[in-house]
Amino acid sequence: MSLPPTAAQKLPSTEILLLDYVHKLERHRHGRTACRIRLSSLLPANRRDHHVRTAVSTFDNLVRRLKGQVFAVSNADIIVIFKDSALDEIQAALIKLRFLFDDDPVLMQEQEEGHPPFIEWYGVDQDYQRLLIMAQTLVDADLERRTQDPARLDGQSPAPIRPVPRETFTPAMLARMQQALAGADLANMLRRQAVCAVIGQAPPQPLFYELFVSIADLQETLLPRVDLDSSPWLFRLLTETLDQRVLALLRRHDDSTLSGDVSINLNVQTLLSPDFLAFDDGVKVNERGTIVLELQKVDVFADLAAFLFARDFARERGYRICIDGVTIDSLPFIDRARLGIDLLKLIWDSALIEGKLSDGSALGAYVSRCGPSRTILCRCDSAHAISLGQSVGISLFQGRYVEQMLAGPATRLRGGGRARRR
Amino acid sequence: MPHPLQAQRIMNASPRDPNGAETVNQENVLLDVAERIGRIREGRLAVHLHLSALQPQNRQEGYLRVAGRMLEPMVGAYRGQIFQLSNADIVFLLTEADLDDVHLHLNTLRGLFAKDPLTREDSGDGQDRFCTVYDLTHDYDRFLATARQLLAVARARTPPARPEFSPLSVTGLGALAERLTLIDASPFVRRQSAISLGGRGAATVIFQEFFISLADLQKWLSADLQVHGDRWMSQYLAQCLDLRLLAALRRLRLARAPVALHLNLCLSTLQSPAYQAFEAGLPTGTKLGIEIQSVDLLGDSRAFIAARIDFAAKGHSLVIDGLDEATLRFLDVGKTGADLYKIDWSPDLKRGDRSDPLHKALRALDTGKLLLAHCDSEAAIAWGLEQGLTKFQGRYVEAMLAATTLGVCEQASACSLAQCVERHGVIGGPLRAECGNHQRLDTPPPMRAPHRPMEQP
Repeated sequence: MSLPPTAAQKLPSTEILLLDYVHKLERHRHGRTACRIRLSSLLPANRRDHHVRTAVSTFDNLVRRLKGQVFAVSNADIIVIFKDSALDEIQAALIKLRFLFDDDPVLMQEQEEGHPPFIEWYGVDQDYQRLLIMAQTLVDADLERRTQDPARLDGQSPAPIRPVPRETFTPAMLARMQQALAGADLANMLRRQAVCAVIGQAPPQPLFYELFVSIADLQETLLPRVDLDSSPWLFRLLTETLDQRVLALLRRHDDSTLSGDVSINLNVQTLLSPDFLAFDDGVKVNERGTIVLELQKVDVFADLAAFLFARDFARERGYRICIDGVTIDSLPFIDRARLGIDLLKLIWDSALIEGKLSDGSALGAYVSRCGPSRTILCRCDSAHAISLGQSVGISLFQGRYVEQMLAGPATRLRGGGRARRR
Repeated sequence: MPHPLQAQRIMNASPRDPNGAETVNQENVLLDVAERIGRIREGRLAVHLHLSALQPQNRQEGYLRVAGRMLEPMVGAYRGQIFQLSNADIVFLLTEADLDDVHLHLNTLRGLFAKDPLTREDSGDGQDRFCTVYDLTHDYDRFLATARQLLAVARARTPPARPEFSPLSVTGLGALAERLTLIDASPFVRRQSAISLGGRGAATVIFQEFFISLADLQKWLSADLQVHGDRWMSQYLAQCLDLRLLAALRRLRLARAPVALHLNLCLSTLQSPAYQAFEAGLPTGTKLGIEIQSVDLLGDSRAFIAARIDFAAKGHSLVIDGLDEATLRFLDVGKTGADLYKIDWSPDLKRGDRSDPLHKALRALDTGKLLLAHCDSEAAIAWGLEQGLTKFQGRYVEAMLAATTLGVCEQASACSLAQCVERHGVIGGPLRAECGNHQRLDTPPPMRAPHRPMEQP
């Protein structure tokens, strides 16, 4: 259970925790190294929250095995302090990180004279003072940032020290969004991501491509300071509007958008709407078998009778159905075969590593019951997610890491929101 | 010349348009076509789907739309025409159709509506109640009479009354949520008791549930603020109402504290300061049960599991509420590890030919953890007893409770059963004030349970 906001505000900042840790290390300096990864020097498009999260997750394994500590401070930099025995592992992780951001000017100019390095190194023993100063500087900078509220510049009293809160998503905002969407062309917000079979070390084989509206881009355009996650039910309403726009968009595309195997996210009610019937009209009979309709688990169970009706209709028309948004926590309650659904999409979660579901049963047993070729592990951002998935029998994967694998060694992680529609 | 199907689409535009004369348009066209084809009856087939006889929940607009769509390819292939009538029925005409193919399509359609008894039961004389097929070579006159009758009935039908509630808009939802932040919900809080049947017919109250009555709230709100929105709006509103319920219950004053207190809350509410303050303010030793809807369980399973762990440590119970025949069949609720599963009574549960998956699902659950809610009749209790259930809640139980209270209450001579039931149901206001014995009103009397029904021979 999350803490009430008042308590959360009193939690020490990561900077303070870092400084505290460095102080504690004073008597354990030997055999330790620290590095500061200056994500703050990357282009803004390359240092969004999800980039930082991905970068931090690169060190998950290290932290889990108690070989080091990771601090993601508020300017987006990451400081890793680790035992020297983990140096090889750290080097490997850093290669991966450089690879993630290697199209950024900072990395491209790194070798040139006069440019600061992307990664700074500290031997805890010999560079202890420098490390301490670095930590202290981060604490000071963070405090300064928090007190520099725009209101203060207007001569008003300073705002209390707290991170800038994002606004709660309200019905009035939803109404505004719906209005804006009514005439919007979402073509430039439509994204594609492959669902691939990844077997062993073989290159990924795309099965179909999910077409989805980038919610991050949409939000940035329409309601930049609003936290859409704060009202999940209003978000569901928003997706109903999006369904109409996406179907209209796909209907208009008589080109290749729909050719080839694709999946689209829709609500159950949308499948019963005139919009979907009009879309269905435009789909060639032999193409329906290659279209997967992705339905959110909460939507499926919110009105099972409507789902069963829509399911029978969609299957009769030749579409395939995937239940989306399944988490490790909800997995035990959901029986794909009993629901008469073709595919199940499980969201990657580091808790999957434990191999156990919330009811204590084994993940591997679930996958084998659900069908290894019917379970998709999505939001795979690292090689680790793929190998974990493979170890429990999953053979279908989706996510940023899969995209990189597909693009081959020349891949670059481009900036820009890629948040998937949930 | 337009494609034949295209022509039909235009004709079928908004068949159930509520604007007066247009609503019988399809019946008019049907009769017109039926009269014209009288000249060439050979090789023609007409099919009348009696979708108007489906149960209301099974003839939603979306379902009917899809049904029409399912027929279109066949109607197109056999150079036919389709009519979606104002009463929800569908009639279609075919030329030189392969009868086996037609039946195949009809069976697919029957499958879509398999949940409805219409597709399974005959009218007693062996006739199919779902559809009637006319071979116009022989049955033309009968079909023509049907077309005439359909038009006459459609004309005679008074235009549908404006629905009592216009659906809630997103803007309306915002206005309502804002209004709700200011109200005192106490007058709309209702109380209902759940009982458990012990040995030798003894029944004891195991908890009292407190919830906000939406119907009463609606009566109080102005007509332009509707509390009836779509399912997502309802979920959003539920979150707003939770805070009002908690505020009202912090002022709850009963003559005797309930043996256990159950609240229907959203998972997100459990993380709110309002809930935490409520929980912290409960007298020591109060037994608390929180009831969660299954849609909420799926919406945030992580929060559910966190709540389960937290509740187990505090000795509270976590309840899954609102289970029905479909959720029991398709959701593995047993795996949630909840303390109690509440099944809403409905005659659907009794339906014999559908009972297998349901019974299998019920057998997988510990009957001691099952409660049959919404018991409004003895039939409900009887079904529950047959399944081995021992816990019940609903209007029938409330009546039992009030009747027993009247039997022991010193002031009963002034009251009717209906009054006693009503007064049990509220936590304050004039109704409660009318009762002269709050001690009795808040103290569940020892009860005798209804007998287990005799086994059918």
